[in-house]
Amino acid sequence: MSGAASFLALAGRRIAASLLLLVGASFLIYFTIRSAPGDAVDAITPMGTPPEIKEKLAAEFGLDQGVLGGYGVWLSRSATGDFGESLVFAPGQTVMEVAAPAFEKTLLLSSGALFATVVLSILLALLLGEPSARQQGLTGALYFITSAPGFVSAVVFSAAVNAGVQRFVEQAGHETPPWYPIPIYSDSIVPYFFAGFVLVMGDGLLMDTFNAVRAEILSVRGAQFIAAVRARGASVTPHLWLNLAIPIFSAFVSRLPVVLGGVVIVEYVFTLDGAGYLLLEASKQRDFPVVVGLSVLFTLAVIVVGLLSDVARSVIDQREVARDG
Amino acid sequence: MTVKWSDLGLRLSGAVVIAVMVVGLVALVIPYDPADAVSYDALLKPPSAAHWLGTDGQGRDVLMRLVKGTEAFFLPGLMGGLIAVVLGGLAGAYTGYASGPLRSALVGLLQLVDTLPRLVFIILLCTIRNPSIPLIAVVAGLLFVPTVATVVRRKVEALGSEDYILAHIAHGFTPTRILLHHILWLQCWPLLVRQAAFVFGYVLFVETGLSYLGDYGVQEPDPSWGNMVAQVKDLAGAGAWPWLAPAVAIVVTIAAFLAFGNLVARKGEEALR
Amino acid sequence: MTAPLLSIEDLVIEFDTQQGRRRVVDGVSFSVAQGEVLGILGESGSGKTLSTLSILGLVPGRPGVVSGHIRAHTDAGEVDFLAELPSVVSGGTAERAYQKDDRRWQRIVHRTMRPYWGQFATAVFQNPKQSLDPLMTIGRQLDESVSLADPSLDRAAVRARSVDWLKRVQLYDPERVAASYAHELSGGMCQRAMIAVALAREPRLLIADEPTTGLDTTVRAEIVGLFKALLRDRRRAMLYISHDIREVLFLADRVIVMRHGKVLEETSADDLRHGRGRRHPYTASLLEAADLPAGEAA
Repeated sequence: MSGAASFLALAGRRIAASLLLLVGASFLIYFTIRSAPGDAVDAITPMGTPPEIKEKLAAEFGLDQGVLGGYGVWLSRSATGDFGESLVFAPGQTVMEVAAPAFEKTLLLSSGALFATVVLSILLALLLGEPSARQQGLTGALYFITSAPGFVSAVVFSAAVNAGVQRFVEQAGHETPPWYPIPIYSDSIVPYFFAGFVLVMGDGLLMDTFNAVRAEILSVRGAQFIAAVRARGASVTPHLWLNLAIPIFSAFVSRLPVVLGGVVIVEYVFTLDGAGYLLLEASKQRDFPVVVGLSVLFTLAVIVVGLLSDVARSVIDQREVARDG
Repeated sequence: MTVKWSDLGLRLSGAVVIAVMVVGLVALVIPYDPADAVSYDALLKPPSAAHWLGTDGQGRDVLMRLVKGTEAFFLPGLMGGLIAVVLGGLAGAYTGYASGPLRSALVGLLQLVDTLPRLVFIILLCTIRNPSIPLIAVVAGLLFVPTVATVVRRKVEALGSEDYILAHIAHGFTPTRILLHHILWLQCWPLLVRQAAFVFGYVLFVETGLSYLGDYGVQEPDPSWGNMVAQVKDLAGAGAWPWLAPAVAIVVTIAAFLAFGNLVARKGEEALR
Repeated sequence: MTAPLLSIEDLVIEFDTQQGRRRVVDGVSFSVAQGEVLGILGESGSGKTLSTLSILGLVPGRPGVVSGHIRAHTDAGEVDFLAELPSVVSGGTAERAYQKDDRRWQRIVHRTMRPYWGQFATAVFQNPKQSLDPLMTIGRQLDESVSLADPSLDRAAVRARSVDWLKRVQLYDPERVAASYAHELSGGMCQRAMIAVALAREPRLLIADEPTTGLDTTVRAEIVGLFKALLRDRRRAMLYISHDIREVLFLADRVIVMRHGKVLEETSADDLRHGRGRRHPYTASLLEAADLPAGEAA
């Protein structure tokens, strides 16, 4: 099979597998919905919802049918992006209208933070390499600080920033920034950078990525072909980075789901109107269609990211294609 | 002097782990009535002889609430870790050894569960059923089964062709016994310890996170490290101890459990080699 | 008589292990003349690989002690590779910093050796599939060597010469091989490509460390034959390391026999082949094991 044809075949297989995953995961979500005790409709609507809305919801979620039948009903609507309308949060608007812009922000924030983490990990790995005793102490301290859950780091960080800004404003008589005090809502982009910083420094993300990246760098550096390259006086650098491209990319992609989890509470602490904040607010207000829609979107994001990484990997690494083709 | 950092780390983290365990057990038996603890004479007091960590916005002793707050995550955390490790270990052993349609189905199911973003799913669950903390811990444990299963499966596949395993087979041990005792128990225990510690830390994170958010998790006036940290919104700089102490406790506990799990696992792996 | 291309004198290499300091290379001396093929015969653990890898500064890890001389006759004149290494490395006075830092030692060695890599010597190792970059085409790796050997060539000329090299190592359909990756080729083809990559660099010395290990028996003979053909013009010398006495006898002009880190015997291949002269008992046992005439015992 020619290169292009086997690549397309591989991509086709991966897409099919991803669709299967999506169907399965969405079924798990639907099953959870149906597992609510008592009358399902009451469980998923806030108090005081008028009966005609309840009926509409029951129809949309296929609650009058069996689990499989209901899943079919729900899936056929959801597959088109129709998650219904928001009940409480933004009445009248469809879930997608509300969720899509929020999701954009969350994806940007998450990938930005993750990208910064990977870059930082590479720098750290190149600097630290095989840790000496002094460096082990340093990395130990870093481990400790960065293992804090995102929301704890966020809380401590915002308290510190608030205190600092307060002193700054009072003493020097400067203007209060629009985003102060955290967590009031503002249009400013500054809280996004705070959130990004907290995401990098929390949930053990940095040290976990650092460990993975360092292991990859050491393993490639120690490979026999690198010694062979060196032995003939050629430059090791292009070989090194070519072979590190995939592992580092994998390190990035495999951690995106983790960051998407951590971003939820962090967005809440900094009041950023991303998908995580939306999820929590909608959950508080019992706006069920929004919660379900966002859950599916989050799952979809994880699956799509995995698919794109698989495909990108096989572009660089022909061995992958040869193995499956 | 060469400081053996791993030994020092092991001792430090081990000490914290033991301390948390002790406090967790003690907290279960100490009586505490949150309404009783309220004292309008002693609002937001700094640490003193009477109150080692001071009092919070309602005059309640912070240290006492810190101790009692372990109830929310201690047993659930152990439970979640146990579920993840037992089910994940069995699933990993099976998928590493067997072949056929049942195995493929199981691998597919594990992959499915793995795809779900954990915290998002937990929030979905909370929205639908408003579950108790123990139920959340069980779900969290289940959500980690694929991770544990993958790690165990790789180990089983790697060991399967080792000479001494083949020798065991030749000696007449049944595959089940070899899998469960020789591989899972004797060889995989470092991996399982590391995963169990991680899941415990995750349950702590989920419980305190949900309690912090307020609608799910532990509600006031019952104490949880999470809802104690949430007081930062009300206190607004008036006092740091009531929310900083639980924040530090969360970080220290999670860090200690993770480090302990990792270091014990590393020592175990070295010993097994 | 011209100066030898490479001369190793009293080379000692010790490693720090958990059981203490182990001497792996124990006062080894030998030399290679220009255009000559020197065979190094020995079993695993004899120190043959380490002695020769040290010529290229490719010893993995960080030795506790390295002493002796490795004199090379390079384009830049006479150089003693070991003299350029800091004296701290020679036993006893080793600083703690070097003791704890493999990377730092590596960096020092690399800095010392970099001017000579490729230009003075290149290497062909065992496990050919591991010696090639798995993510680059063979052609690209060959181009690398060719353009380093002759930087004045343009891209087309470089590629033409690469294809020519692939022909010379008896790979038919060289254009297809050039466009292939290592995993698409057999072990034998990979080793031929590796030899091309090493020779295209036009070194004065080619070091071959057990190049036939891991290959099928028939392929092994082909590779040995290939070496013979490629080195016939005597434009470069070769150090051929092997535990297979027949291969060594076929290729080498002179042979040294190593065991437990020491050179036991040095003789001409001719003498060995015909069972002439007095033999060290170990060499005799190797010859007997291969059904070759052992000659007189020393």
